[in-house]
Amino acid sequence: MADTAPATPTSPTSRAVSRPVSEALLNEKWDRCFSNLIIKSSLGLGFGVVFSVLLFKRRAWPAFVGVGFGAGRAYEECNSSLKQAAKEIRKQA
Amino acid sequence: MLRTSIRSVRALGSRPAAAVAGRQWQASAARRAVVSGQRFYAKPLVDEAKLPAAETLTAPATPPPPPPQTTPAATITPEQAPLTPPAPGPAVVPPPPPPVAPIVPKKKGFFRRLRNFLLKLVLLGVLGFGGGVWYSRINDNFHDFFTQYIPYGEEAVLYLEELDFRKRFPNVTNRVTGRRADTASEQVSIPAQSGASWRVADGDHAGRQSSGVAQKVVAAKDAVKDTVKDIVKPEPAAVTKAKKETAALPKVEAKDAALEKKAKGVEEKKEEVAVIPSAATSSKPKEFRAPDVNEPSVWPPASPIDPLSVPHADDAIVQQLVHMLNDIITVINYDGAADKYSQTIWKAKDEVSKVGERILSIKSAAEEEAAKQVKARIDSFDKHANDLVSRLEAIMLAQEQQWRQEFEAEVERLKHNYDDKIKLIQEREQKLSEQKLQNKLLEQAVELQRQFSRDIKKHVEEEREGRLGRIESLSRAVSELEKLTTGLNEVVDTNLRTQQLHVAVEAVRASLEDAHHPRPFIKELVALKEIAADDPVVDAAIASIHPSAYQRGISTSAELIDRFRRVAAEVRKASLLPEDAGVASHASSYLLSKVMFKKQGLAAGDDVESILTRTQTFLEEGDLDNAAREMNTLGGWAKTLSRDWLSEVRKVLEVQQALDSYSGPDRLSNSYSDTSARSDFT
Repeated sequence: MADTAPATPTSPTSRAVSRPVSEALLNEKWDRCFSNLIIKSSLGLGFGVVFSVLLFKRRAWPAFVGVGFGAGRAYEECNSSLKQAAKEIRKQA
Repeated sequence: MLRTSIRSVRALGSRPAAAVAGRQWQASAARRAVVSGQRFYAKPLVDEAKLPAAETLTAPATPPPPPPQTTPAATITPEQAPLTPPAPGPAVVPPPPPPVAPIVPKKKGFFRRLRNFLLKLVLLGVLGFGGGVWYSRINDNFHDFFTQYIPYGEEAVLYLEELDFRKRFPNVTNRVTGRRADTASEQVSIPAQSGASWRVADGDHAGRQSSGVAQKVVAAKDAVKDTVKDIVKPEPAAVTKAKKETAALPKVEAKDAALEKKAKGVEEKKEEVAVIPSAATSSKPKEFRAPDVNEPSVWPPASPIDPLSVPHADDAIVQQLVHMLNDIITVINYDGAADKYSQTIWKAKDEVSKVGERILSIKSAAEEEAAKQVKARIDSFDKHANDLVSRLEAIMLAQEQQWRQEFEAEVERLKHNYDDKIKLIQEREQKLSEQKLQNKLLEQAVELQRQFSRDIKKHVEEEREGRLGRIESLSRAVSELEKLTTGLNEVVDTNLRTQQLHVAVEAVRASLEDAHHPRPFIKELVALKEIAADDPVVDAAIASIHPSAYQRGISTSAELIDRFRRVAAEVRKASLLPEDAGVASHASSYLLSKVMFKKQGLAAGDDVESILTRTQTFLEEGDLDNAAREMNTLGGWAKTLSRDWLSEVRKVLEVQQALDSYSGPDRLSNSYSDTSARSDFT
């Protein structure tokens, strides 16, 4: 999804880049979601590994649980951001 | 060994306190002794074991330890010491002093202990019981508890209380107890004849009469009865009647009702007795049991006086009197003094009955009188009422007539008054109308005069104006001629300006169409505005263009199509989204949009895919307007994604429209017609 980067016009113009073009709104959201997913999952994984080493005699499951927590958190945030955007769209319409 | 033991004993003896300590150590010491095999103390002194009384209390459960009497140092004699058997092991450590001390004789202690125990138990019990009794006299709650749950507690407490009570009130207690003893011991026997009873009038009672009299009576019975009956003849009827009436009036005779009923049979006879006391004795000879020959002769007791009953005793006074008399009679009867008072009582009875009758007669007379009076009174009232009614009617009639006459007179008067008033008003109105008419006539006359003068003035003025007007029109024609000459110059100017405008517009259009990239065309617009010189149409057209359009320029159609492709790809991804889409629906929409079929041309339908296809078709045809319209029908995420593209297209459309509006042939012809109209005017 990140393949279609914000579609900048082919020529260098004086267009303000502060606001993304409208067709890239969704892609930007997806990008955020993925980065969020990666960050949260790795955080969860780290916590899981630490816990497994410290408390659970190097079992595998705490790491998986941490990853699951991170991914779930990221998923939920992404979901809420998408729904928020949908709500705003509906309000505008 | 021996020496050590002795020494230890001595040491103990020198310190009597050690004995006490030894006692405390007794158990452990004994155990230690057993362990160490020092049993030699136990055997030889068994017979001499003596237990001090105190020992039992301290350790009652200890098994009798090896009992050599070593505790009190004084009891140990040197002879006793050697009796201990030699220790099995010669290497035994000399025993510590304590084991010697605790060894106490306790053999015969059991019975003694039992005795002591029992004694103490009894003592304690007695003390406790005594204390309980004492405390129960102080505390009520405890009293209840004590008397209820402790055997013999109640008796003890009661006894004590009684003792106390008797001490406090010796007299009262004597009396009370004495009487109580009497009632308890003896039954109270009431003699058969004592107290009030119906038997007073019974025949049984009457039967106790001397036989001599009775025989005499039997013999003279008939004769007496004949003689008496003649005298009393009216009486029995009256008496029986009275009896019946008294029976009907139980209230009066309530007290004596029982007496009366029982005495019914003898009533008559008693009456006779009351009338003739001398004959009374002889009237009932049968019941009187005559005394035997060996007994002394006895007078038969006089029969009791029967209570009084009065007929028609409704009156309260009579009732009270009868009541009183009956009370007296009852008293006399009970007293057995009937013969003494019978005469007097009879008289009194007679009087009372007479009084009753008299009261009755008085009452009836009064009633009759009252009835008569009431009737007379009612008659008189009726008469008066009739009189009153007839008088009232007459008065009312008279009054009505009078009122009617007055009413008619009043009506007449009012009518007269009103007629007068109406006449007056009519007269005044007539006068008023005449006055008005006259005024109008005057006004008309004045008006006519004024009009006349005005007409004359007008005529004069017209005459004058006609000449002046001609001069004025002449001068106007001259000025218009001047204007026409100047207008010709203007036409030439306008022509020039239009041409310039056209050139400017063409320049703008060229700059727009020429460009491969969007670039600002603000200079061209400024030039156009200067040339247009406050032309409202041009101003409005320029104002309608979005500022960003001429500042940044507008995109070319190729660019638009290129961008549309990107936008369409994105929109397709979001084409299947539901209303409130989350991550899952976005992902599924993205995946499913990959496998959707593409449409071609002007596809029919409202879905996102067909709208996109139509837009693309329009764009390829160069119809920007329709393409924008199609895209505008999108909704939701699709619309949001295509927003920027749509605004871009709008800008282009606006600029195009503005250019069309003032570069079109109609606009030019308009300006021409404007000038031609002016030239026409000339």
